[in-house]
Amino acid sequence: MKEHALTLGEELRRQGVSRRSFLKYCSVVAASMAIPATMVPAMAASLAQARRQSVIWMSYQECTACIESLTRAFAPTVENLIFNFISLDFQHALQAAAGDQAVEALHKAMEENWGKYLVLVDGSIPLKDDGIYSTSHGQTHLESLREVAEGAAAIVSIGTCAAYGGVGAARPNPTGAVGVDEIITDKPILNVPGCPPIPEVMTGVLTSFLAFGELPAVDALKRPSAFFSDTIHDRCYRRPFYDQGKFAKTFDDEGARKGWCLYELGCKGPITHNACATMKFNQGVSWPIQSGHGCLGCSEPNFWDKDSFYKPLSAGQWGSAEGIAVAAAAGVALGAASAVMSRKNQDKISGGK
Amino acid sequence: MTLLDFARGPAMQVAIFIFVLGIVWRLVGVWALRQKKDLSEARQKGAWIGGIKGLFAHAWPYKPFVPKVGAQYIVGYVIHLGLFIVLFFGTPHMLFFADIVNFTWWTLPGGVITFVALITTVALFIALAKRLVDPVQRLISNFDDYATWFVTTLPFLTGLATTANLWPHYETGLAIHLLSVWLLLIYFPFGKLMHSFWFVVSRYTTGSRFARRGGMA
Amino acid sequence: MSKTTTEMALDLDAKRLSVVEPGTRVDVQGDLSDEARVEKAMTNFVKDFGRVTATYMEACIHCGACAHACPFYEASGNPRHTPIWKLEPFKQAYKREAGPLAFFYKAFNLKKNVTLDELKEWQELLYDTCTMCGRCTLICPMSIDIATLVGMARHGMFHAGLVPHELYTVTEKAQREGSPLGATPQVFEDRVEWMGDEHEVDMHMNEDQADVLVLMSSIEIQKYPESMAATAKILNQMGKSWTFRTDGYEATNFGMLSGNTGWQKEMSMKVIGTAEKIGAKLVILPECGHAYQALRWQGANMYGKSLPFKIQHISEFLADAVDSGSIKLKPVNKSVAFHDPCQVSRRGGATQAPRKVLEALGVELIESKSGGSMNTCCGGGGGVITIHRADTLRYKVMGAKFRQLDETGAEMMVTSCSNCRQNFDDSSEKLNWDKQMNSLLELVADNLVEEAEK
Repeated sequence: MKEHALTLGEELRRQGVSRRSFLKYCSVVAASMAIPATMVPAMAASLAQARRQSVIWMSYQECTACIESLTRAFAPTVENLIFNFISLDFQHALQAAAGDQAVEALHKAMEENWGKYLVLVDGSIPLKDDGIYSTSHGQTHLESLREVAEGAAAIVSIGTCAAYGGVGAARPNPTGAVGVDEIITDKPILNVPGCPPIPEVMTGVLTSFLAFGELPAVDALKRPSAFFSDTIHDRCYRRPFYDQGKFAKTFDDEGARKGWCLYELGCKGPITHNACATMKFNQGVSWPIQSGHGCLGCSEPNFWDKDSFYKPLSAGQWGSAEGIAVAAAAGVALGAASAVMSRKNQDKISGGK
Repeated sequence: MTLLDFARGPAMQVAIFIFVLGIVWRLVGVWALRQKKDLSEARQKGAWIGGIKGLFAHAWPYKPFVPKVGAQYIVGYVIHLGLFIVLFFGTPHMLFFADIVNFTWWTLPGGVITFVALITTVALFIALAKRLVDPVQRLISNFDDYATWFVTTLPFLTGLATTANLWPHYETGLAIHLLSVWLLLIYFPFGKLMHSFWFVVSRYTTGSRFARRGGMA
Repeated sequence: MSKTTTEMALDLDAKRLSVVEPGTRVDVQGDLSDEARVEKAMTNFVKDFGRVTATYMEACIHCGACAHACPFYEASGNPRHTPIWKLEPFKQAYKREAGPLAFFYKAFNLKKNVTLDELKEWQELLYDTCTMCGRCTLICPMSIDIATLVGMARHGMFHAGLVPHELYTVTEKAQREGSPLGATPQVFEDRVEWMGDEHEVDMHMNEDQADVLVLMSSIEIQKYPESMAATAKILNQMGKSWTFRTDGYEATNFGMLSGNTGWQKEMSMKVIGTAEKIGAKLVILPECGHAYQALRWQGANMYGKSLPFKIQHISEFLADAVDSGSIKLKPVNKSVAFHDPCQVSRRGGATQAPRKVLEALGVELIESKSGGSMNTCCGGGGGVITIHRADTLRYKVMGAKFRQLDETGAEMMVTSCSNCRQNFDDSSEKLNWDKQMNSLLELVADNLVEEAEK
């Protein structure tokens, strides 16, 4: 059982974070989420009063990269402190406990915070064969999700797998994997897609939830608009090269070395919504295009199945080449048939040649 | 499947299938009709040379006709050249073809293509205006003429909107652009867009027939 | 003395019915039912729907450029005179009956059946306002041979009994009597004899064997008989073995002009048969445009196999003669503008021949702005000159022609087609043209350096 829980403000003060640093953090987060500067004081006051938020993190059919991304840190940062502040009551990859003990902790957390806990999910949920393809502790993840979601205040699907099915759902989708919102339909759900997502997007979403008690504004795919309304293409630093018609044609040619646009090498930037171009990864160190590889479109549904990563966006998605030959042959047949019909018709009308 | 997935995949395949089928059908359907041989004595041998010359002879009006139809030809060329440039020298389009023929070629910067597309679109509207106003064209025009104009202009408008990111949702707009092109391909074999093929046959036929006679066409 | 009354007052302010523009009379032959007429038209249209026709009918892009090359449209400004529009019923029939998409056009009624009203409305467009001069083809971006197709469309019109009255009359007369203008074999023989006497020229008539068969057109026989003397004079000078024949002399082919292919064949076969009979190696066509078209380019197809003799327009024959030095000409020191007969130059391929002759005549040839193979039609050929309701438009076309020729500033006007010449003569009277159109053949004959003078 917990002793008197500290508010976030008290906790941060205890850790030696000055009020000024805290306010600075709030400004940064507000700016990144396009929240007006005038709201920063209210946000800070609210955050400072926030109590430890119970967070239950369920990992299903996933590769763990989302957790790696979000917990990877060079040095303690305010974000990390925020993470420490939330009561991460269950996370089977990170926690020390295992087995029955762990499950007991989960159920206790759910009971004690019923209706108020936030559920974070990463990994897709298989549906085929009653969901047998992904289980923990003898329970399918399908059953687990339904159980955990019941008392949740809201659910955040972290990563493309939890949001849309991700790599598990890629053709031919042998496990019948789907994203969270195809199973849970009666709770507020927010998607933070990406393979993996940007850590700062996650903390931004959490901070927003802590400060305002509700999930931020979302787009049609339930992604926070603050981070997902622009396409990579619209914010890409290589965009001038696209406009000028300067493209890298192979991965090590002169254009590639000069940092030219990667459209011809398959970059899906124009149809991918994410904040990679502005926020980047590893606290602003780099991101795929800066490293010289085209955007895979990993924050979009079904990105694995949209043809090759190295085929340009404008290249067609061909079924088979034989189709064209069939069309031509059919055309010849129809043409010959129509000519025969025409000749017969001509003879009929003219009463012989 | 999003609208864009549909447009890039199944819709494209169906459109190209109908495109190829329809064109071959129409060409074979005419080619396989009867034709009586001309038994008159040719004035000179090698009428086929006249046929080849005929392909180019009407590329520009003969001098006496320039004041009357020169402007019309210019508008027509702007439209055709504009289409050619945008279609083959716009990078995303070039890459579509490169995927089929397995080689790429030099392309023009995006701004130039946009400029050319704008000029072409303006020319298309001028052509439409002429068709609606000129008494000769008004009389002889039918549904096909206006439908052809529509399916030709729509890809330009949707393409410009996509490049300028005017759509509320980019991917949907891109999908609409693709679908407008597939509409053009599907309509192509059944209307006067077939003139892209007929002009070769027709000009060659007249060129060679008249070379045979020594006359002029 | 008339019966009069003052009882009924004249109401000068009342509205009156007036005719602003007279409607075109539609001429109808025979007493076929309406359905039968359409059927006959269709029967004869479909015979011509071959690969070439189909290509042309498919190729049109409705640009309307053809109107701007057509002398009739230029004169009237009436969009209905747009050349390709003249073919509209023919085109619809093709698309509905023989095109690659015919099945669908019929099934969904996307192309309607040709109606009698349509055909009647098109009589004027296919006969009155088209000489099949082919100038439209020059301007067409798709190079559609509209003129040939108009000739084909006339096949349907004739058998439907929809030929303009006067054209039908002269055609029927030609079929029956051998000449559209009453130049029967007897009249022909008489006038040849008369010319022989008048000009002291040896006329060869009805010889059993000859190398050269000479044809004449009824226009020359009746209106410009000097042509016969001129031809004879030149051939005699050259020492050729030649003859006229009363069983095969008429060069014009009104079967072709009106659209009756059966009669066209009969008319052609008369001269072909005669030429064969006498073992002719060469048939000379007189100064006539459509005669050249009929025999030189359509004759063999009527015959069904290649012709066993050569055919030359008289201007071609004269060009060869001056080239080879067989005849020598006295110089004519005048400036000349030449009006090319469309069927000989643009449609026939003999554009250079008259120019060679003019060169030999030593004239200063001044080409008009749109001359040679691009010449503007005089508007009288193809039967148009026979149709009186077309006169007004024909004179307008001629007005433009006069202006064109006057612009050259030449002193003398020359042509090599008697129908054109007839048109010029008739029109210059009406429009007060101050010049006269001359015949190339007669010019040569008049300036021939004769044996005795050498």
